[in-house]
Amino acid sequence: MIRYFGSLLVFSLFAGCSSDAGDEGFAGLAGLEQGTIADTPYLQPGPGDRLSFPADFGPHPQHRIEWWYLTANLETGAGEPLGLQWTQFRQALQPRAATEPVPAATDWPLQAAWMAHGAVSWRGQHYFAEKLARGDMGTAGATAVPFQVWLDNWRLSGNADNDRWQLQALGEGWSYDLTLNIEGAPVAHGQQGFSAKSASGEGSMYFSLVDIAIRGEVTLDGEVLAVRGKGWFDREWSSQLLKAGQKGWDWFALHLDSGDKLMAFRLRDENGSFLSGTWLPAEGDPVPLSSEELSLNELDRRKGVPVRWQLSIPKYQTDLELNAPPGDYLNRGLYPYWESPVSVSGSHSGAGYMELTGYKAQ
Amino acid sequence: MTESLLAVRGLSKHFVSGNETVPVIEKLSFTLGQGQSLALTGRSGSGKSTLLNLLCGLELPDAGTIVLHDRVFEAGGAAARRTVTAWSTLRRQHIGVVFQEANLMPALSLLENVQFRAQLAGRDPANSEDWLTRLGIGELAQRYPDQVSGGQRQRAALAMVFAMEPALILADEPTGSLDRHTSDEVARVLFDLQARHGCSLILGTHDAELAAGCQQRLDLGHLNAV
Amino acid sequence: MKGLPSLFSPTFPALFLPRALLSHYRRHPLQLLALAAMIVIATMLWTGMNHLTSQARASLDQSERAVAQRQQVVRDDGRALVVEDFVSLRLAGVCVMPWLEVTPETGSRLVGIDPLAAHCFGAGTGASQALDQPLDGKPFVDVHAAASISARDSHLYLLTPETTQTTGLPGGYYLKTFSASPDTGELGDSFVLNLEALGVLVLLITALLLRSVYLLGLAQRRDSFALLHRFGVPPGRVQRWLALEILALSLVSVVPGVWLGRWLAAGLGSGFGEALDGLFDIPLYAGQGQGWITPVLVMLAVVVIACLGDLLLLRFRERFSLPLPARAALAIALLAAGLAMAWLAPSLPWVFIAVALVFAGAGWLTPAAIAHLALWRAGRSKAPLARWRFRELAVLVRRLTLPLVALQFALAMVLAVQALVTTFEDTFDRWLGQRLEAAYYIEVPSRTDGHKAAAWLTGQQASAPGLQWHRVIRGKAQLADAENPGGPQVDVLAVAPVGSLVRAWALLEAAVQPWGALASGEGVMINEQLARRQNLGVGDSVQLTLGAQPRALPVLGVYPDYGRPVGEVLLNAATLPDNFDVRFESLSVTPGELGITQVTSALEQIWGVNELSLRDNGTIRELATGVFDQTFALTRAMTLLTLILAASALLMMGWVFFSARAWYFRLLVVWGMQQREVAGQLLRLALLVTGGIAVLALPLGIWLTWVLVHRINPLAFGWSLPMAVYPVFWLELAVLNLAIGLSIAALMRRQLGRPVVAPVSASALMGGER
Repeated sequence: MIRYFGSLLVFSLFAGCSSDAGDEGFAGLAGLEQGTIADTPYLQPGPGDRLSFPADFGPHPQHRIEWWYLTANLETGAGEPLGLQWTQFRQALQPRAATEPVPAATDWPLQAAWMAHGAVSWRGQHYFAEKLARGDMGTAGATAVPFQVWLDNWRLSGNADNDRWQLQALGEGWSYDLTLNIEGAPVAHGQQGFSAKSASGEGSMYFSLVDIAIRGEVTLDGEVLAVRGKGWFDREWSSQLLKAGQKGWDWFALHLDSGDKLMAFRLRDENGSFLSGTWLPAEGDPVPLSSEELSLNELDRRKGVPVRWQLSIPKYQTDLELNAPPGDYLNRGLYPYWESPVSVSGSHSGAGYMELTGYKAQ
Repeated sequence: MTESLLAVRGLSKHFVSGNETVPVIEKLSFTLGQGQSLALTGRSGSGKSTLLNLLCGLELPDAGTIVLHDRVFEAGGAAARRTVTAWSTLRRQHIGVVFQEANLMPALSLLENVQFRAQLAGRDPANSEDWLTRLGIGELAQRYPDQVSGGQRQRAALAMVFAMEPALILADEPTGSLDRHTSDEVARVLFDLQARHGCSLILGTHDAELAAGCQQRLDLGHLNAV
Repeated sequence: MKGLPSLFSPTFPALFLPRALLSHYRRHPLQLLALAAMIVIATMLWTGMNHLTSQARASLDQSERAVAQRQQVVRDDGRALVVEDFVSLRLAGVCVMPWLEVTPETGSRLVGIDPLAAHCFGAGTGASQALDQPLDGKPFVDVHAAASISARDSHLYLLTPETTQTTGLPGGYYLKTFSASPDTGELGDSFVLNLEALGVLVLLITALLLRSVYLLGLAQRRDSFALLHRFGVPPGRVQRWLALEILALSLVSVVPGVWLGRWLAAGLGSGFGEALDGLFDIPLYAGQGQGWITPVLVMLAVVVIACLGDLLLLRFRERFSLPLPARAALAIALLAAGLAMAWLAPSLPWVFIAVALVFAGAGWLTPAAIAHLALWRAGRSKAPLARWRFRELAVLVRRLTLPLVALQFALAMVLAVQALVTTFEDTFDRWLGQRLEAAYYIEVPSRTDGHKAAAWLTGQQASAPGLQWHRVIRGKAQLADAENPGGPQVDVLAVAPVGSLVRAWALLEAAVQPWGALASGEGVMINEQLARRQNLGVGDSVQLTLGAQPRALPVLGVYPDYGRPVGEVLLNAATLPDNFDVRFESLSVTPGELGITQVTSALEQIWGVNELSLRDNGTIRELATGVFDQTFALTRAMTLLTLILAASALLMMGWVFFSARAWYFRLLVVWGMQQREVAGQLLRLALLVTGGIAVLALPLGIWLTWVLVHRINPLAFGWSLPMAVYPVFWLELAVLNLAIGLSIAALMRRQLGRPVVAPVSASALMGGER
């Protein structure tokens, strides 16, 4: 869901704006007042917008930001839990309509910046790497058909039917090579894909693949681990995601052992917060959850980051306690944020992922 | 009757203060003979200092004529520059000025002060020490002004003036900052030497006793009731 | 009068005292303003200087990193790299960054870089560490901008971090060194060290100025203090309130001063890193991070010490006040001790202490010396006017001691900085010129033979007038001597033929006909570092192991080498043994009438490659000098500002002084001197003061230059810079000083024309006028 985006770096660099957080929200996701350089305007998703497949697996160059986001709750052969993340972001510096030609690589164009994050969490250790590239060069990009997302030698690629993906990424001391079996159709969040991010209408287009069976190998400091488990894949794009004043968010994607699934997020600002989510019952259609139907409470912090939560949806008799495993799961990139697996207890058991941004980690 | 040293005719001076013109001296005429003494009296602000300034050319009048030492100074003459130069020469050689205080250069000794003044006037500085002795402060010759008393400083100032052998001495409250006793002594020396050397003296003072020591008296307060 | 009795009651209203003290400033707001302005300006100046120094350090660090040798990836087939190479290397997981050198149709060379691609160079901190290059003002732009320029010439390099291994490269590529220009590291460090030393001096000067203004204010308030004392206020309480007052005032003034100083430095120095600022969102100026607290605290301390030092030292001074001759003796002793210590000091801190001693001695002695000289001259003068003038001069100098000493220090500093900067400039220029004597520099591709190229060039020599060239071979050698067979490793710089391109090198020390001897292989030359470290000189013999073969060679000369700390040996490449491990080989070529394209195409043919790595030394030189030029310009600007501050303080104080004495100057008019003549006397007086200070600042400045160049540098870096003096600049300073004198005199002349009241206050009459 709402995913962190960092290529704001590029903004600050080339547009000369300050990196001071101020009212721009986390990583500058709010208040993006950069004028468009060309005549082409940025497109902003609205409640009437619809998803379209397979095109929406590919990039949206006329939107300012988007991401492809995979989290996975895996197990090693020995039955130990292992968390895994792969994300690729695109940040436009200049919007481009679908009809406009792609600039030539020989010009070293700078219409978009790409960033990739990869992380593995195992036995309380957290491995993380970050990569950056400019778009339209060939070193980073995405295509819908065949489905491919890549940056340098990190790559996610689908087969012709787009139901079987390969994912490779590597950093210092870690690498993974996974096969993902996509089971089930994309799930649209919010109003048929438009996910509001504030009461005043800022939001994004947002869909997920929630039934992903994963097998493969993770190599950590030379040790090769065979892994298998479940994944959760998000696609999201927008031009103005956050409202000015929103400081960060808490996002959760949970696989409950009952077969139900849950996505919930909260956007924080000084005056309160905006809650939203989707309930995905084991049988039947997904149900959007409104602010009133959800309640989310911090229970405990670790070094300034809330790591224990209470999440309840009275309507579905769900009252969950979420716990991050011991360890430090801060992704220390250009914009640090927390990305960790969580275990679920309470009215249901299960596992999932949690992303927390905008906290001052101590 | 002695020959006239100074003749003042129709002398006027006013100051401009904002839009107002304030007359200080109005159509003043008088003469002063060689060797005579004149007391200028009047309260503060009656124009004593202004008149003394006019009489030595430190200020120039708005109207009238001053004849001094055979030189004629007309007000508002076209050759103002020459007038200023002429006054300078007169002051240098023939007019001794004594103020209430600070008549001496602080960085020079009493003797050096007298020598300096004498040399400026073109007199022989060799007599300087003599003058100090005559004024009763010979033993203080090597002292600096800040090392002697106020009365001694005024004596030194008189020594300086007499050393230049002036034709006219202009003294502006010369004893104004001294106590009665010292003041009387200094005044006595002044009148004594003035009489003995035959120079003229114009003495601005508000002290009636001191004024009484002069042969003539001009009451500016009376003349120029402002 | 109603309120008056309460003043005499034993307890005053609580705030009576501060109100009474402040009432002075209510009546004379200008005085308060002047004091505040002085603190603000002094703070600004020092902060600016300090800031600039850290900027210079940061920039030089950056440039050092920029020009440090790096690795690049090149093609096996010798073809020029293109975008596809970049893409395929990145897709293969190799960290490479484009370095696109573009020579526009008009304007100077630009380098396009990709900060996004550079991310992989430094972990976490982005591109900043890998390539901060504030060279030549603004040569670095985004690679897109560089690619969009219509260019005469463009060349793509792909840089890669040191950690990249050949084994990590896909087939068809290999690693090679990449260097943008000669290393300027140590020269830069030395420069910054000197700048820092000067920063301390600026602090001292500002302290003196602050003190003089503060004391002036106190003097003007003496009457009100006396009044308070008469009202029964104990002096201690007045002093405490005064301390509080100055603390409050400095707090209020220091902060805007620091802000202005940073603004000034940023304004002046914006060119430094403008390019980078645009490219990398990182604080560019090293001083910026911690830049607030330090200057604020330092300046507060300076203000407090400068203004309240007396209060603290009062008792001490009462107890230990020395008679005048003893003080003079002490000052002379300080001066002598400082001079001796500077000469003999074994380490840097001692040199700094020595400098402090000399300045203290000079500062103490100078005004007293001028005053004494003036009094002596007055005593010998027969002419009363001259005697008066010299006596007045003595008073003037004593009354203006602090601003005069500040001006003297400022002058000495400006003089030293000018000499230093000019020396650096010259040295750097000359040294760079020697190193880049040839117009072009061509890398010999690996796996090819430099000999063939040399043979071809030799063949061309006859038919191509103006053609100059030599081969340059770099490698390592082992130094050895009798006791120490496995001595330190030194760099080897071998050239052949030993022709006009090297013969122009300036040598610090040389045998007879050193180049001829080097050409015939009769010996070697060594750099200054090696000479100092190994205590070697001309005529000594060096034991060198080149390859496997040890040999003893006489030292023919010592050459200056400011770039690196490493010892280096220069020899004739023809004498290298066949098994010498060649680390790097290149050709330096000035093509003359041959034309560079002819040379390159011939060499491409000889070596069987499609493209050569060719560098135009002119542009390298431009890049390398750029960073220094700016630092130099800024340094000059800052020192000049110090001078201007000192000058204006003197002007202000001089004016106050002259105003206080205006009565006496007017007395001269009363005594029959014309105003013109009196003004002439004042002019002579003012010029005597400022001229005298200029003359006395000269030896101090020259001495300071000597210390910076000959004592501090060798102690800090192991090599010294040539010492030079610049009399034309002295003349400029003298003119400036005379201008200050003229301005004081002009101000006074205006004063003369106005009516003046006789000084009446007791203090004015009784003290301090003589």
